[in-house]
Amino acid sequence: MVNPVLALSIFALLVVVTALVVWPRWGFAARVIRLWQMTERVRIEDALKHLYNAELSGQPGNASGVAGTLGVSPARAVRVMARVEALGFAHSTAEGLRLTDEGRAYALRILRTHRLWERYLADRTGVAAADWHDDAEIKEHRLSEEQTENLAARMGQPLYDPHGDPIPTATGELPAMPGIPLSALDPGLTATIVHLEDEPREVYDRVLAEGLAPGMSVEVVTADPSRVRFKTDGRDHELLPVVAANVTVLPKPTLEVAAVPLRNLTDLDLGESGTVVGIAPACQGAQRRRLLDLGVVPGTAIEAELVSAAGDPVAYRIRGAMIALRRHQAEWILIDPATSAAGHGHGPH
Amino acid sequence: MAMGLTSTAPCRGCAADRTESLVQLGVQPDKWDYFVALAGNPNTGKSTVFNALTGLRQHTGNWPGKTVARAEGTFTNEGKRVKLIDLPGTYSLQAGSTDEEVARDFLLFGRPDVTVIVVDATRLERNLNLVIQVLEITDRVVVCLNLMDEARRRGIGVDATKLAHELGVPVVPTAARSGEGIPELLVAIDKMATGQVEPRPFRIRELPPDVEGAVQELVPAVSRTFPELPNARWVALRLLNADERVLSAVRSGEIGALSEGVVQSAGAWDAEGQGVALVEGNQELLDTAATLRWQLSPTFYDSLMQGIYESAQGIAARSTVTGLRRVKFDLDRQLDRLLTSRWLGFPVMLLILAVVFWITIAGANVPSQMIATFLLDTVHPALKALGAAIGMPWWLSGFLFDGMYLATAWVVAVMLPPMAIFFPLFTLLEDFGYLPRVAFNLDKLFQKAGAHGKQALTMCMGFGCNAAGVVATRVIDSPRERLIAIITNNFSLCNGRWPTQILIASIFIGTLAPAHVAGVVAAAAVVGIALLGIMAMFVASWLLSRTVLRGEATTFSLELPPYRPPRILQTLYTSIIDRTLIVLWRAVMFALPAGAVIWLISNVSVGGTSIAEHMVGWLNPFGILIGLNGVILLAYIVAIPANEIVIPTVLMLTVLTAGIAGVGGGAGVMFELDSVSQVGDLLRAGGWTLLTGLNLMLFSLLHNPCSTTIYTIYKETGSTKWTTVATVLPLVMGFVVTFLVAQIWRL
Repeated sequence: MVNPVLALSIFALLVVVTALVVWPRWGFAARVIRLWQMTERVRIEDALKHLYNAELSGQPGNASGVAGTLGVSPARAVRVMARVEALGFAHSTAEGLRLTDEGRAYALRILRTHRLWERYLADRTGVAAADWHDDAEIKEHRLSEEQTENLAARMGQPLYDPHGDPIPTATGELPAMPGIPLSALDPGLTATIVHLEDEPREVYDRVLAEGLAPGMSVEVVTADPSRVRFKTDGRDHELLPVVAANVTVLPKPTLEVAAVPLRNLTDLDLGESGTVVGIAPACQGAQRRRLLDLGVVPGTAIEAELVSAAGDPVAYRIRGAMIALRRHQAEWILIDPATSAAGHGHGPH
Repeated sequence: MAMGLTSTAPCRGCAADRTESLVQLGVQPDKWDYFVALAGNPNTGKSTVFNALTGLRQHTGNWPGKTVARAEGTFTNEGKRVKLIDLPGTYSLQAGSTDEEVARDFLLFGRPDVTVIVVDATRLERNLNLVIQVLEITDRVVVCLNLMDEARRRGIGVDATKLAHELGVPVVPTAARSGEGIPELLVAIDKMATGQVEPRPFRIRELPPDVEGAVQELVPAVSRTFPELPNARWVALRLLNADERVLSAVRSGEIGALSEGVVQSAGAWDAEGQGVALVEGNQELLDTAATLRWQLSPTFYDSLMQGIYESAQGIAARSTVTGLRRVKFDLDRQLDRLLTSRWLGFPVMLLILAVVFWITIAGANVPSQMIATFLLDTVHPALKALGAAIGMPWWLSGFLFDGMYLATAWVVAVMLPPMAIFFPLFTLLEDFGYLPRVAFNLDKLFQKAGAHGKQALTMCMGFGCNAAGVVATRVIDSPRERLIAIITNNFSLCNGRWPTQILIASIFIGTLAPAHVAGVVAAAAVVGIALLGIMAMFVASWLLSRTVLRGEATTFSLELPPYRPPRILQTLYTSIIDRTLIVLWRAVMFALPAGAVIWLISNVSVGGTSIAEHMVGWLNPFGILIGLNGVILLAYIVAIPANEIVIPTVLMLTVLTAGIAGVGGGAGVMFELDSVSQVGDLLRAGGWTLLTGLNLMLFSLLHNPCSTTIYTIYKETGSTKWTTVATVLPLVMGFVVTFLVAQIWRL
């Protein structure tokens, strides 16, 4: 019989080795796959994206920019750019490299796949918001044009990605994005968030941590070079200007930002009711659709009726039916508790 | 153009060529005069209406290519044969889920002659949401205003005439449970099918301004391309929503054929030149829609649903009167308070479940014994004698009767009685409305493991049979949570494994204790294993939801339907037909070949030794390493179709390999011994120790699902990947656990 100490040691060793190989992100397998994915095609496509972004911001692309975006040595960046030029996607000018029409169309196609995939992740999967971008960075190089169009068809030809960016159409048209950076909004002015930039990741994580989402209303309180202070409905926020610059807003002078936090369903005690004013913008995709189908629309009277033996979920009387919602879902449903009893005439109670 | 399905189609428009699309939708072109679709929200008594109309002339299956259950039946109405198809119960028709997609596609492309929408009279407003959406697609609707008895009890009055006037289609008040209003419903269906009533359906008028603008612009284009289309506004709305099914129907011209009895747009498939021209016009329409979409706000769907619900609210308010009767004592609410109370909720739940299990175990004992005595001790010798009498060679009689027959008989004897008791009991609790409360109470626990509260129910079903538990996961309407429930169902100790656990616990664990408490100790050990299984289920759910299943979509919602007195006969019928017999049939189909294999490996020899002994020899080193032995591993390999035959196979193989004389029925003949101590002596003679017994109990809990369950998982998920995960995950866990126990034991 095998010596048990020996057997257990071999087992422990096997567990450690397996973990080292298959651990997500840091494991050996993940590293190999990443290296293997970094093909010539990916470099060229990333370079095209960089040139396209440079063009949007009014600067020509150059080797150091490409090297920075791709994370490769400047020498390698020069080789990639030479290849891009040889393929007819860009041409050299005095200021630097400029995209040809063909190159721009290619870049837009990559962008289309990227944003469409993010929309897909947001609507049809449970992937966390912070991971959408990284996943799309990989998928944008993988999907063929046909697969992209199939995806668009299945998704109902979405127009915007979950960050609020318009998705380029199949024919390469990209409507201009209105709006200004939040950091440029003057104190006292109100606006609606239309877009959250998802790069770089550290900055995006910071924005997500503040709970910001497209569709929210903001009002800037003070803005100075070190801090932008602003509030959303009932919440105060403070961001570094460089972070705030990644939030695009559309100024709307008539907008009113509520002074007190909007109440949500979790603020109702058992037996209390309120009227829905809306579903939080952070609730997207299938989850939002489900709530709407259940009749959670502005104007619906909802009563908190029953709490589970474990304290969560709580069952609410929604348009006659008793629907149990988990706490995090109930937090999405914004209500006005003031107009309670008047609208509540349904059900037998 | 093909004719309708029968030459005597009595209704106008029936002759339109829909045979092809109906066959695609899974409707067999039987003999019927017209066909009716049954739609409705969940929990509206839709299946009661279905049963009231069809009686027992019904059969159930799945929608083609989908794991959505579907029932259909036939009945005679006013001398005409009517086919009735039950659509999945949905809240909406926006095609957000598979159920909705199935229902919507059927209404749009199946073009039923009449669509009956079952509506809960006590929850009119919510139900009208679906009615309004259906009316946008088809005019030929009869509203069945069901649960009128419940409404009366709650003091709610619904003016059916007023409602019919508002909706523009007939409304028939019914209480399907007692049969009230069903004759009137039949008359209304017939009148609608034969065109004796002219529907003037309600259409949504109050669209949000930006949507209305876009619709106004698009409707002329739709009407220009498809002049005969009755629901141009709806098609325009769906185009603005970029609904792929509608888009492709426009692209192909299929949508033009939906107008009643019109040949015009079917021209898309006719002469080539004309077809191309038509498709070009269609493309123009699609382009217009695509351009208009950029003018809509991103929350287009939100405002659309708001509009529908506002209309529903108005209609419901105008046709409903509440407070007709003072409801002094609201039983539902009192019951809910008790069953979900902080202190009593869990004890009551445990009590109810314990009673269900006790009735199952106690009640199944006697019939199981009787079936076993009959099939194993009477029929089996009789078959052998018959074989001998007609001069059957020994190998044929062995192969057929000792192999195939015996394995099947064993599965039936062990499996049938507990299932036939457990499933009806469970279905009664479900019908009464208690099970959703269990899910409600336990949801927090399951939520922590990334799962859905309803998994508590499918887990309980798993204690009856894992295959049935896997099918039951259909009640979980969130994709990620459903997959978790499917993959982890095997951790519920199914009734095929209980006998193994009890036997081994009595032999190896009960005997450790003094004789007078041996039974209790053994029972505690088995319960301990079952609890370990529940723990493993939570751990596996947690791991899955955070690793491989992280990216699957999740949409939690749990409706708590009102309590309703269960229909006992109905329940007995459906749970025995739908759950018990289907599972039993699958198990038998898998047990037959397994019995054959078991007999063959024991009787075919290579080099003087049977294949079974060779395999036991090969498996033994690994078996010993994880505290088991080669016999057990081989038994689990050949008995993969059913856990029920593991112990008989183990006993037979032990006798075979250890060369014990005078026990059992010979090579390849499974058997059981009458007394537990005899089995214990036999196993100890085969080299078993306390460790072997303990590890067998662990391995019986943690190993791959039986092949019936694996097959069911594949049918339900349609995915090789998830089937593999569900098969391999518990097996790996079993190897690791038994290995660790064995090695630490030997330290």
